[in-house]
Amino acid sequence: MEIRPIVSALLRNKTGALLIAAQIALTLAIVSNAAYIIRDRVAVSSRPSGIDDESRIFRIAVDSIDKPGDAIALQKQEEQRLAALPGVESLANANQIPLGQSGWNMVLFLDKSQTSSSSSMAFYFTPGPLVKTLGLKVIEGRDFTAADVDIINVRENEHRLGHVAIVSQALAKKLFPDGQSAVGKHVFVGNGADAPEYEIVGVVERLQSPWAQHGEAGELSLITAIRPIQSYVNYVVRTEPGQVERVMRDAEAALTGAGSGRLLIEKNTLPDIRQQRYRTDHAMVWMLVTVTVLLLLVTASGIVGMATLWVNQRRKQIGVRRALGARRADILRYFVTENALISSFGIAAGTLLALALNQLLVSQFELPRLPLPHLLVGMAVLWALGIGAVYGPARRAASVAPATATRSA
Amino acid sequence: MFRYYLNLGFRSLRRNPVLTILMVITLSVGVAASMSTYTVLHMMSGDPIPHKSDRLFVPQLDTGGMVGYTAGEEPDDQLSYPDTQRLLASGQGIRRTAIYGINDAITPERADMAPLLANGGATTADFFAMFEVPFRYGNPWHADDDARKADVIVLSRATSEKLFGDVDPTGKDLTMGETSYRIVGVLGDWQPLPRYYRIINGNGGAFAGSDEFFIPFSTAVRHEKRNSGNNNCNGDGPEPGYAGWIASDCTWIQFWFEGASVGEQASIKAWLDDYASEQHRLGWLKRPVNTRLRNTMQWLEHLEVVGRDSRIQVWLAFGFLLVCLVNTVGLLLAKFSARAGEVGVRRALGATRSAIFQQYLIEASVIGLVGAALGLALSFAGLWLIGQQSGAMAAVAKMDWAMLLATLLLSLCASVLAGFLPTWRACQVRPALQLKAQ
Amino acid sequence: MLVMNNLSKIYRTQMIETHALRGFDISVRAGEFVAVTGPSGSGKTTFLNIAGLLEEFSGGEYLLDGVNVHGMNDDQRSRLRNEKIGFIFQGFNLIPDLNVFDNVDVPLRYRGFAAAERRQRIEQALGQVGLASRQQHYPAELSGGQQQRVAIARALAGSPRILLADEPTGNLDSQMARSVLELLEEINSSGTTIVMVTHDPELAARAQRNVHIVDGQVTDVLHEPVLRGGEQIGASIQPNL
Repeated sequence: MEIRPIVSALLRNKTGALLIAAQIALTLAIVSNAAYIIRDRVAVSSRPSGIDDESRIFRIAVDSIDKPGDAIALQKQEEQRLAALPGVESLANANQIPLGQSGWNMVLFLDKSQTSSSSSMAFYFTPGPLVKTLGLKVIEGRDFTAADVDIINVRENEHRLGHVAIVSQALAKKLFPDGQSAVGKHVFVGNGADAPEYEIVGVVERLQSPWAQHGEAGELSLITAIRPIQSYVNYVVRTEPGQVERVMRDAEAALTGAGSGRLLIEKNTLPDIRQQRYRTDHAMVWMLVTVTVLLLLVTASGIVGMATLWVNQRRKQIGVRRALGARRADILRYFVTENALISSFGIAAGTLLALALNQLLVSQFELPRLPLPHLLVGMAVLWALGIGAVYGPARRAASVAPATATRSA
Repeated sequence: MFRYYLNLGFRSLRRNPVLTILMVITLSVGVAASMSTYTVLHMMSGDPIPHKSDRLFVPQLDTGGMVGYTAGEEPDDQLSYPDTQRLLASGQGIRRTAIYGINDAITPERADMAPLLANGGATTADFFAMFEVPFRYGNPWHADDDARKADVIVLSRATSEKLFGDVDPTGKDLTMGETSYRIVGVLGDWQPLPRYYRIINGNGGAFAGSDEFFIPFSTAVRHEKRNSGNNNCNGDGPEPGYAGWIASDCTWIQFWFEGASVGEQASIKAWLDDYASEQHRLGWLKRPVNTRLRNTMQWLEHLEVVGRDSRIQVWLAFGFLLVCLVNTVGLLLAKFSARAGEVGVRRALGATRSAIFQQYLIEASVIGLVGAALGLALSFAGLWLIGQQSGAMAAVAKMDWAMLLATLLLSLCASVLAGFLPTWRACQVRPALQLKAQ
Repeated sequence: MLVMNNLSKIYRTQMIETHALRGFDISVRAGEFVAVTGPSGSGKTTFLNIAGLLEEFSGGEYLLDGVNVHGMNDDQRSRLRNEKIGFIFQGFNLIPDLNVFDNVDVPLRYRGFAAAERRQRIEQALGQVGLASRQQHYPAELSGGQQQRVAIARALAGSPRILLADEPTGNLDSQMARSVLELLEEINSSGTTIVMVTHDPELAARAQRNVHIVDGQVTDVLHEPVLRGGEQIGASIQPNL
C-alpha cells in the first residue's frame, strides 16, 4: 500500500480533494442528524394508543340544531339505533378519544391539603362500555357497571363529575410509585372544598391522551362514569373487521337523517385521526428522507465526476506506471486508496461537524442528542458510498493501456 | 465583450453536455429545496398587517389560584370574562376588542339545503375597524348594537354565497341556532395568514379554517354561547351554570388593544400592571402581578406560529444547497483546469488577467441562467409537495413575486459563487508554461 | 537476451489493416548496446512497445531473457516488465506531483521490496546518475537533463536486465544530451543491455550495433556486433565513430 506517496501527491493538489472531502463532511453531518430525527419521529408516531386494532374504530359526533327535550332519552335512542346497524360490534358515548387532539385536561390531588397537584391527566368520561369498545386491557380491578354511572349536566355542574375512576397504568405508577395497587384508593380532581372525589376501581394497561404528548404526559389518563345531560354527543364505535367506512356512513345516515333535528359535527376513523395527529411528523420524515437520498446522490456524483476527471487528466501517468510494472489491480488500488484517504479525511471532519450541528439543533430547536450508533452508521454509509462511487472510474483507469506511456503526446 | 463571453459560455456548455447537465441539475435541485422551504417559512412568518402590526397589542394576565403556582412562568394567553369587561371599559388605546369562538347551526332559507354547521366569532364593533376588515356589502354593526346586545350578524363572503348565492343579503334574516339574526354586512375577500386576530381557535389553527360569521360579543353572552376554542380553568372550576361560567376566572377570551402609536405599548403596559396590582389587592387576581403586552409579531412568536419543524426544514435545505454548491465548485474547477491550455493561448494573445476572470465567471454564471428556469419549476414542485401535507400547509405553500424573483436570483448567485474559486484559479495560469508543454 | 522471431503486429480498425511489423527478426545479446533506427512511421515505437511488453503482438515469437512471453496474461506481463525491463522515455514521464525520491520509488513499490531495501536501491540509483542530493526536489524544479537522469535512475533502481530507451535525448540540448549518452554508455559498460530507439544517426553511431527498420521490417544491420565480452557473430565493418 503506497499511502505516503499518495498523500504527498494529494497535498500538491489539495483543492479538488478538499472539495470532495467537504462534500463528504457536510453530507455526513446532515445525514446523521437527519437519520436520528427520522427515527425519533417514526418512534413517536408509532406509539400505541392503548386501543386494540385501531382500524376497526370510528367516531361520530352530532349535536342538535334546537335544544332537544329529553337529552338522555335521545342519547339512549341513538345508541340503540347505532347498535342495531349491521357490522357494529360495540359502541360507547365518550367525551374524547385518544389522538383526537381536543378534550379535557384536569389536575389530580391525592390529598386535598396538598399545595401542588400530584399529576395532571386527560379526563375521559363515558356512561357505557368505553373500555370494551376501545379494547383497553384491564390489568387490575374492573370495568364500570351500570350502577357506577352518574347522570350529570357536565356544563353546569363541574363540582360533581362522577365518583368512580379507571386510570391508566402510567398514571397509577405515578401516583403510587411504591408498587401499591391503585385499586381502592381515593383521589380528588382539584383541591377546593367541593373538589370531586373518586374511588379508583380499575387500571388499564395503556390509554393515551387526546394530545398524545411526548413522554410521560401523553400516557396519563383517567376515565370516569358519567352520562352527560347535553345534546352534543360523541359516539365511539367498534366495527367488525373491514366494515369501518361503510358502518360510518350508515351511522351518519341513521343519526342525521331528515327530520332527526341532528347535525353532524364530525366523523372520522381512528386511522385518519392518527394520521392527522402525526401529519407534521410524517411530513418531516418524508422531507428528511428526500434530502438524505438527494444528498447521497449529489455527493456520489461529485466523487464520480471528480474521479473521472482525474483519471482523464492522468492517463499518461497511468500508462507510465503500467510501463514501470504496475498491474491493473495496482492501478485500481491506487485510485481506490486515494479516494479512501480523501473519504477518511472527510468523514473525520464530518464527524466533528455532525456533533456541532447536533449541538445547534439541541440548543435552538430542543431536539434530543445524536446517539453514537447513528453517527457510526452514517460513517459506514459514506465510506461505502465513496468506494462505490470511485469504483467505476478506477476500473476505467485500470484499463488504460500501458502503451499510453509511449504513444500519447 | 459581455455578449462575446456569454456566447463563449453557452458554447462551452454544449461541448460537454453530461457535465453541464449534472451541474445544472445539482444546482437547481439545491436552489429548489432551499427556496420552497424558505417560501413556506416566509409566508408563515409574514406580517399579516404590516402598517399596523406594531400598534396592535395583546394583554395577558396571570389568572389562577396559588395552587400549582411557579414564579416566572408565562401568564395565560387568554382573559377571563370579568377582566375582559373591565379592559373593554378601560378606555386604553384608541380601540379595544375581544373575541371568542362560537359553533352554531345555520338553518338556510331554502328548504332543500340541510342545516349547516358554522364556525365564527363573537366580537365587538371595533374589531372590524381595528383589523381593517373589508366589506363587500353592508357595514359592521355599531357600538350601540353591542350595548343593545342586538341580534345582528356579519357573514363571510363564502358563507353568504353558500346561503344566498351572489346577491346582497343585507337586511335579510338568518336563523342560527334558535335565534333569528339580521344580516348587516358581508365581508369581502379576507383571509389573513396567519389568522392572527384569533390564533387560539378550535377550527384549523393559525393557517387553516376561517371565521364564517361574526355576532356581537354581548349578544353571544346573552344567548349563553359557549367558547368553541380553548378554555382554561384553575382551582375548583366555575360555579354551575352559564352565570357561574362568565363570573369565573376561567380564561377563554382573546383581547386586543389598538394604540395610536408604537409608543403606546409602554403606557398601556404600565396601565395593565396597575390594573393587575389593583385586582390583586381586591383578591380577584390571586397571583402576584405577572402581565404581558405583546404586539402582533411578538404575539405570533410567543404562540410559535412558525412551527419548529418549518424552521428546521429551512436550515436543512440550505445545508443541502451548500453541498450542491461545493459539488459545483469541484466540477467547475476540474472543467476549467482542463482548459489551462486555452487560457495560456488567450493570455499570450493579449488577454489580461481580469479579462480571463470575466470570461470564466460569466461562463460559470451561464449555468445559473440555464438552471434558473429549472430551479423555479422544481421550486413550484417542492411547494406543491409541501402543500400536500395539510390544508394549513397548502395555504402557505404559495409563491409570491418576491419569492419568485428571489429564486431566480439565488440560482444566478449560486452559480457565480460556485465559479469564483475555479475562475480565480484559471487566471493564475502562466502562459509560458502552458505553451511549452505539449 | 531479447529475441524476436518472425514477429508481426497488425492493427485492425473497422476496414483497414495496418501491418506495423512483419516478419520482424531481432536478436540482442546480453550486455549489448543496440540502436534501433528508422524513419518516422517505420514501426520503431511499435517494436519498443512490444519489446517492453506494453503491447501484444499478432504473430511470431518473442523471448525475453530466455522466457517465451506467449500466452502471458496482463498481470504476468506487468510482473516481467517490472522485474526485467527499465524504461526511459523521450518526454521523461516523471510524475509531476511526486518528488525525485518518490518518482524513483514507483517501480520498487510494485516489486514489493521492503522499505529499507527500497531506500537503499533508490539512493544507489540516484548516486549512479549523480543526483543523490536532489531527492526532495520536484520535477518542475529540475532541468531537462536532470529530469532524464532521474528517469534513468528510476529505470535502474530495480536492477533490470535490459533498458529500453525511446529517444532519450530528443528533448535535451546538445550538452545535456551528451552527458546522458555518456551515462548510458557507463551503464552499458557495467553489463546492462541497452536497446535505444532513435532517428538521430549521430546517436545511433554511439551504439555498438544498429538495427534499421523500414515499413515494419528489419532492413540493414549497419554494424556487426563488436566483441565486448560476447561471442563474435558474422563479419564486422568498421564502426563509424
